[in-house]
Amino acid sequence: MLVIAMSLRVRVRNAETGASGEMELEPENTVEEIIESAAGYWQKDAGAYVLRRGKSLLRGQETIVEAGVGNGDGLELIPDPEGG
Amino acid sequence: MPRVVGNTEPEVQERSPPDKQVRHKWLSEGGMEALSSFDPEMYLHKNAEEKIRNHAISMGDEVMGLLLGGVYQHRGEPYVIIRDVATTDLDATRVSVRFSREGYERLFDSLESSWFDYVIVGWYHSHPGHTCFLSEVDVATQAAMFDQDHHCALVIDPVNQEIDAFHLRDGVVMRRPFVVYWETFEDPYRGVTVRHRRLSSDPDGVTL
Repeated sequence: MLVIAMSLRVRVRNAETGASGEMELEPENTVEEIIESAAGYWQKDAGAYVLRRGKSLLRGQETIVEAGVGNGDGLELIPDPEGG
Repeated sequence: MPRVVGNTEPEVQERSPPDKQVRHKWLSEGGMEALSSFDPEMYLHKNAEEKIRNHAISMGDEVMGLLLGGVYQHRGEPYVIIRDVATTDLDATRVSVRFSREGYERLFDSLESSWFDYVIVGWYHSHPGHTCFLSEVDVATQAAMFDQDHHCALVIDPVNQEIDAFHLRDGVVMRRPFVVYWETFEDPYRGVTVRHRRLSSDPDGVTL
């Protein structure tokens, strides 16, 4: 099977503000890297967020290929609060 | 490392705040003081309020969820509307709470099926029997995730029947004056009179 490694674009939405950004990804990028990059862009603490695509949680160590992320997908950065 | 190559910020819409509003019956003394001194900065829809209150009452442990709504302005003054809430299974005790790792898909299901284009304008959680305030953990959460002007932490104590809203300004915890609102079409008493209708098929002319 011939696998062509090519970059793809996704739209990441910051659910806390409604802002969204285009992100260019390589197949080997991980979900964690997407969160870190998005959180850094919006000046957030990456450890406080999770990423969803539709109803699915994207796991941190998965590559975007393993997570099934495709070109043009919409992802959303969701806060993961803790109360005491 | 991936990077964001373009950003779209949402526009803040100009819109009059809801006019059908009432002070929450559980509002704390501090909350009432804030509301008597300042105009409401946040409008909590009655259905969302009911969901939060029922959630808190239903559990002995703390409960938590996300506040879904939007940010608006009226004559230059920003305000927040909370239309709905989203929650899921929780890992909770009487003094701590967070979303269960297994509960995310249910949470995302709620978000995905939201009937409006939401912004997460804050979070709610309960302090059963401990009154309403922001603990150290709560402040850390607020600072890490909800540090924008429009963000809010709604705290409810179902034991003492108390509710209050807070936000951070320059790292300092401040009260956020808020009211419960409803839409005009949701007001069951909006008609001035109720007329009894005579049924044409009723031979005795009995009104219903």
